[in-house]
Amino acid sequence: MLQDYLPLFVILVVGFAVALIAVLLGMLFGPRRPTPRKAAPYESGIVPYGPGRRRMSIRFYLVAVLFILFDVEVVFVIFWAAAARQLGWLGFLAMLVFLIVLEVAHVYAWKKGALEWD
Amino acid sequence: MILGISWLVWLIALPLMGFFILLFIPARAKNALRWGALLTSLLTFGAALGMLAQFQVGNPALQQVVRLPWVRIGDLTIEFYLGVDGLSLLLVLLTAFLTPIAILSTWSAVEEGVKGFMLFFLLLESGMLGVFLALDLVLFYIFWEFTLVPMIFLIGVWGGERRIYAAVKFFLFTMFGSVLMLLGILYLGLQTRTFAWDALLQQREVFAAAQVWLFLAFGLAFAIKVPMFPLHTWLPDAHVEAPTAGSVILAGILLKMGAYGFLRFNLPLFPQATLQLAPWMAALAVVGILYGAAVAFAQQDVKKLVAYSSVSHLGFVVLGTFALTAQGLEGAVLQMINHGLSTGALFLIVGMLYERRHTRQMSAFGGIWKVMPVLGALSLIVTLSSLGLPGLNGFVGEFTILLGAFRSAVLASPWFAGLATLGVILAAIYLLTMFEKVFLGPVRHEENRRLPDLNGREILTLAPIILLIFWIGLYPQPFLDLIHPSAERLVALVQSVALAAH
Amino acid sequence: MSLSDLMMVLPIAFTLVWALVLLLIDLWLPRERQGILALLTALGLAVALGLDLAQSGRSGSAFRDMVVLDNFAVFLNALYLISGLIALALGYDYLKRMEMERGEFYALLLFSIAGMMLLTQANHLILVFLALEFLSIPLYVLAGFARPRLESEEAALKYFLLGAFSSAFVLYGIALVFGATANASLTGVIEAVRSGSAEVGFLTAGAVMLLVGFGFKVAAVPFHEWAPDVYQGSPTPVTGFMAVATKAAGFAVLMRIFLNLFPGLATSLTPIFWGIAALTMIVGNLLALAQSNIKRLLAYSSIANAGYLLMAFVPYGNAQVAGQAISSMLFYLLAYGLTTFGAWAVVVALEQAEGRGLTLEDYAGLGPKYPWLGVTMLIFMLSLTGVPLTLGFWGKFFLFRTAVAAGYVDLAIIGLLTSVISAYYYLRIVVIMYMRAGEPRVRRDGWLNLVAIGTAAAVVLLSVVPVQMLELTARAVLHLP
Repeated sequence: MLQDYLPLFVILVVGFAVALIAVLLGMLFGPRRPTPRKAAPYESGIVPYGPGRRRMSIRFYLVAVLFILFDVEVVFVIFWAAAARQLGWLGFLAMLVFLIVLEVAHVYAWKKGALEWD
Repeated sequence: MILGISWLVWLIALPLMGFFILLFIPARAKNALRWGALLTSLLTFGAALGMLAQFQVGNPALQQVVRLPWVRIGDLTIEFYLGVDGLSLLLVLLTAFLTPIAILSTWSAVEEGVKGFMLFFLLLESGMLGVFLALDLVLFYIFWEFTLVPMIFLIGVWGGERRIYAAVKFFLFTMFGSVLMLLGILYLGLQTRTFAWDALLQQREVFAAAQVWLFLAFGLAFAIKVPMFPLHTWLPDAHVEAPTAGSVILAGILLKMGAYGFLRFNLPLFPQATLQLAPWMAALAVVGILYGAAVAFAQQDVKKLVAYSSVSHLGFVVLGTFALTAQGLEGAVLQMINHGLSTGALFLIVGMLYERRHTRQMSAFGGIWKVMPVLGALSLIVTLSSLGLPGLNGFVGEFTILLGAFRSAVLASPWFAGLATLGVILAAIYLLTMFEKVFLGPVRHEENRRLPDLNGREILTLAPIILLIFWIGLYPQPFLDLIHPSAERLVALVQSVALAAH
Repeated sequence: MSLSDLMMVLPIAFTLVWALVLLLIDLWLPRERQGILALLTALGLAVALGLDLAQSGRSGSAFRDMVVLDNFAVFLNALYLISGLIALALGYDYLKRMEMERGEFYALLLFSIAGMMLLTQANHLILVFLALEFLSIPLYVLAGFARPRLESEEAALKYFLLGAFSSAFVLYGIALVFGATANASLTGVIEAVRSGSAEVGFLTAGAVMLLVGFGFKVAAVPFHEWAPDVYQGSPTPVTGFMAVATKAAGFAVLMRIFLNLFPGLATSLTPIFWGIAALTMIVGNLLALAQSNIKRLLAYSSIANAGYLLMAFVPYGNAQVAGQAISSMLFYLLAYGLTTFGAWAVVVALEQAEGRGLTLEDYAGLGPKYPWLGVTMLIFMLSLTGVPLTLGFWGKFFLFRTAVAAGYVDLAIIGLLTSVISAYYYLRIVVIMYMRAGEPRVRRDGWLNLVAIGTAAAVVLLSVVPVQMLELTARAVLHLP
């Protein structure tokens, strides 16, 4: 029983080991010549400007949450669609229930003004 | 029996019915409430007399039994099981007798919250009667715990300055003792599949192995209630803070519930443990007698003095119980009655003094006899009864106990009785000192010169007690006859085990 | 799936649909007519209750053994639904006067109840987890319903973080059980255990993880830290609901999982249960002594009560007392639920805006000033103490009987002695109410009075016929696959 988990354990150990060895090797043998530019945060090659911490409008979070709700749940629908024929009417019904619940949430969010920017 | 319902049921039901009637009387109608409560308690006393009339003297068994199944859990049944025998009869009568007297004593003492007071008093009476009548262990426990609730209210709401402290202390002490008793009851029930007292008696062997533990579990609850020596500390507080009527009931009846518990449950159900522990219990009782007396002597507050004298007097009861002779037991039961009467009366007297002077310090009195001759004379009788003067009730009980303890085969030492006798002498010292300080000598305080003597109602509260004090003192035989057969049987129950062991 | 499958979960399905409908109605309802929503919610709960009670006596499983139906579930579902009704009655006036009446309250309450019912009927560990989240998330929101009051927001956040933490434990436990038996369906796990193919070490570890996770939900020591803060910060009707219904749901799922799934592990788990029960009783009662805020005091009291309830689990592997354990636990839950809801109703009656009126001192003089409210609170305190002629006494009596019958006299002694400790703080409330002078301010509200007087009457009157109640709970047996 427990032997079944052996490969998992091996991967775990190997994974940790590789990461650890890579870091250690770099620390031991890599040359270290720091300049101010090197120590600056990396922003895809653009020169950093302004303070690192900025306030984000709370609305972004709301949008993010709604995005997760409506986008990720669609992922669920794709799998159903792939097997829609085999699942038959029962599957269709189940998906319908799911979509109705989703739609209630949508209407709720809409009516509460969650979709408006101001 | 009235309407086909046993007197025993009436005894418990009447105060409850009074409770529900009083519930609908508006709080403003103070006199209606007082009369209602008095009438209810008098009716209850009537029911108690009815029970007495039906009681077969000379029959040691349980009588007038009422037995109904109540709660059935699997094969275990909790019954509504009432009965009376020589051990409980007089205590039931005492309860029904003292309650109307106590209510009468509150007529002018309680002005605030009369309704609540009377309601709790009737609940208390019902609970106390239930304790003495119940023969099912769970039912007994229910009544036992139930008496706590009205009592903490009587102390905590209508009591003196430190009433809350006293009420909470009283509640916690008693509750601590009784939860372990509940555990013992559960254990007994699960071992024998019954909670009924007589059925348990039949199956004593089943739980013989755990006897000592069970004895201690039950004994702790009872010892706290009595209260026995190291567990008595709640008593002075409760007594001093309680209103007069509360003290009367507390000393007169609630303490007896503990002593009665020993007689009813510990002795017959756990005889081996009883034999084994009897010398220890008796020793504690003797310590209690002497300690209570010594501390009583040191008190300045009359009420505290009477409270500590209770510790001492109840020590006699426990000593008589654990002498395990018929005389000892009879004496113990009679002493319970006597103590209820004389200490109850002492508390009433203290209450009457307090109502007039609003202090209980002995130094505040002196020469009261000259001002209040009626109170003085009655107090003298009660004091003498309490210290055990021959010809009054106290003597009969204490003498019988001492005789029983002296002849006891279980205690097997004259020291117990000998030291206890010292308690009688000490009682004479502290009680007479108290009487002298309060009633005799010149009138030392100006305020005391114009105290009104007892009015008709107050005399009426004390008179029935005085009457009984003389009756028991001069002709105790009818009372002893009531106790004797059951005491005899109880001793036989315990001794049979001792014989089997030898 | 067929129609008969749906019938098995009809109360749940109905509650859910009703909640969705309420959510939509709320959107078009003017702000000042929110009272209609409360009435509609009550109607929905009543219908669900009817549907639930109609199922009593039936048993079976549905959705390919994902859910089961038995009298145990019917009983507890009824308990949740009635709790919901009472919480509604407590909140009706409270929400308005505390200016937090928002329509979501009602939908969230229904969602949470549906989650509880699903948790009780779940027969698959994944569904157990799903239902657990389903009941918890609406409660996190409800705990923060008194926003922008800081205490309430703190309560919501604390409840959410620790709730998520405990969910992780549950999930890990489920994973371990699945690893040990290659099965997550309760029936399948039992089968694996019976056939001996299960890995006992993993299984035990999984069981312990589940116990820890649900220990958080029922607020057993040492997983109780969140409870006082959350109980204090949440709107009081929600607190009452959490103290009764959530706790009952936690115990229900513990019962189903441990009695069904792990009776074989009893020897190794009994000491753990013993320790948790003893600790919970001792710590809960001792900490309650120091409280001066009534909500915190009742929170610790509910922790202590969880300890008493856990006593029923200690002998769970002992088949002879298993039936007794279930019935006495359900009886205690019922007694505790009635008493606790009554006490919370009194708290709601005295609570003022901005969290005033919640210290014990605010109860001074309540007894003489408001005789009815005072007497009901007195009855609740006596019942929680376990004084005879209240349901609380019988609840403790039956629980201790189970413990003694199973041979755990030591645990019973701890329970009894801690109940003496509890007498002190319950008595303190009584003392303050009756023996201190004061001018309490009480909100007069018909629904509140109905709850307080109704529960008080039930606590006293039902205690005269405890056996009928016990028979009722004894019929609520678990469905054994």
